[in-house]
Amino acid sequence: MNATELRTSLPGKLVNILIWLFLAVACVFVVTPLLFMFSASFMPAIDIMKLPYPWVSDHIHWQNYWNALRGPDGSFIFLRNTLNSLIVALAVTVTTVILSSLSGYGLAKFRFKGRNAVFMLIMATMMIPFETIMIPLYMVTMKMGLQDSYAGLILPFLTNAFGVFLMRQFLLTFPDEVLDAARIDGASEPRIFTHIVLPNSGPAIATLAILTFRSQWDNLLWPLLVVQSDEMKTIPLYITRFMAETHSDEGIMMAVAAMASLPMFILFFTMSKYFISTEGLHSTIKG
Amino acid sequence: MRHNRRFSMEQKKARWGWIFVAPSLVFFVVFSFYPIFNAIYMSFFKKNLLSLRPPEFVGWGNYRYLFHSKTFWQSVSNTAIFTMGTFIPLVVFSLMLAVFIISRTKFQKSLQMTLYSPAALSSVVAALIWLLIFDPRGLANQALNILMRTSGVNYHWLSSSSMLRLSTIIVYFWKYVGYFTVVFVAGIGGIPDYLHEAALIDGANSWQDFWHITFPLLKPTTLLVSVMVMLQCLKTFSTQYLFSTSGAPTRPIDVITLSIYNTAIKDHNIGRASAMSVLLFLVMLILTWLQLKIARTEDVTYN
Repeated sequence: MNATELRTSLPGKLVNILIWLFLAVACVFVVTPLLFMFSASFMPAIDIMKLPYPWVSDHIHWQNYWNALRGPDGSFIFLRNTLNSLIVALAVTVTTVILSSLSGYGLAKFRFKGRNAVFMLIMATMMIPFETIMIPLYMVTMKMGLQDSYAGLILPFLTNAFGVFLMRQFLLTFPDEVLDAARIDGASEPRIFTHIVLPNSGPAIATLAILTFRSQWDNLLWPLLVVQSDEMKTIPLYITRFMAETHSDEGIMMAVAAMASLPMFILFFTMSKYFISTEGLHSTIKG
Repeated sequence: MRHNRRFSMEQKKARWGWIFVAPSLVFFVVFSFYPIFNAIYMSFFKKNLLSLRPPEFVGWGNYRYLFHSKTFWQSVSNTAIFTMGTFIPLVVFSLMLAVFIISRTKFQKSLQMTLYSPAALSSVVAALIWLLIFDPRGLANQALNILMRTSGVNYHWLSSSSMLRLSTIIVYFWKYVGYFTVVFVAGIGGIPDYLHEAALIDGANSWQDFWHITFPLLKPTTLLVSVMVMLQCLKTFSTQYLFSTSGAPTRPIDVITLSIYNTAIKDHNIGRASAMSVLLFLVMLILTWLQLKIARTEDVTYN
């Protein structure tokens, strides 16, 4: 937009200041709760409920983190639950990346009868939201005896239509000459896939992996249905239980929240270009 | 001979195509298509989650029950209030923020990063933070007291029904406003510079440029994002679940997914929960169809 014009005229200057003000207010609104979480996680509960909220305490109250790790009963179940979350999220990410790129490659680079039908069928599953099929999935999982197990947590999310779509769109632009050259050199199809296609799909795979990992890390509904024991709980379930049991110590609550969001924040600040990947998001809209 | 070899090559490739696609296809049939047909089927039966008795056919009984059930309509209206109350401010504010960010010559990236950061948080953590903020002694009351020039008034964020609904909307808005701002920035970035330049050469000021160039070209993105947000709001669960398990009254925030969950898991009524799932599915199907239609007919190529 015409920035010079904006800055020179008087009403332009005013508009400019108002826009900055608006953006600043938006940032304050967004950041305040995050700052509150970190600040409160280092405070004893009495300080958190002081009026007005003090923001910084006289001394750093590290005990909150220790108590959060230890848990209300001293069983350190939080660590086990974090491990569960990591196992499930990583497993789902790996299978999603493998299955989506396999079928995305098949749909993008091979001509076969029924290809369009298969593609439409897979895209149609985007219209079936998980919330509407969770009850039948739950019944099947129970029948197979998979409740309260990693298999039960992972199985319904092995891949997803968005992943297939993303990989297909990406691989459509993959140069055919490279693939044909490898075929002429006598490379087998699986080898072409693992040695040429996968290593050259980095950005698409990174975007897909991050989106998948995040949605699993965030998943509450399915674990809520399948998990029964405290040992098999994931972090979202740990937090819900924690809130129901120790509805008292706000400092420990915020320490739990801070630790639970740490992996996502690390991912976000190191890989932000894949979070804010315009192309990935663009294909989401177009999908 | 040559023709023959080529033919068999094509056939071999076709076979590999199937082999690559097969695992995902099997997965989608088993974990998407089977369950949705099963949900439709079960919605015509009476089935208790825990009993071993075979399901009993009741025809439209579950649907008839739902149409006469006050609780069901309550959850429909809760979902509608939440969806409308969330998606309008979300779309309006994220569009405004995106346009403002694009107009800045500095800090474009850091503004986007900052606004996006709550989206990196899990929704359970978001609900947890805001539960403390909405506490009677929490930041929400302190901030509102300063804004309204009152002192020590409790605005009952988690206890009065309309405030409780507003609270869940605020949590959701807070978490996703940056996310959709980034989506809009991507959409605006797709508008080629020469269109703006042409407008400015023709003597348009920046407001006219926005109103006549950016906005019309953004209409398809805006429509698509609106449907996306709506679909997402209809599925809201975590915030409401967490608020209600930590002591807030359930009735005003008993949205449809929470209601399905409770009907199946607490009341063990699989048939009725399936019927609710099917109704939710139909609403979302119509919206998705609308989304696809917009995507197809309004696909702008800027040329």
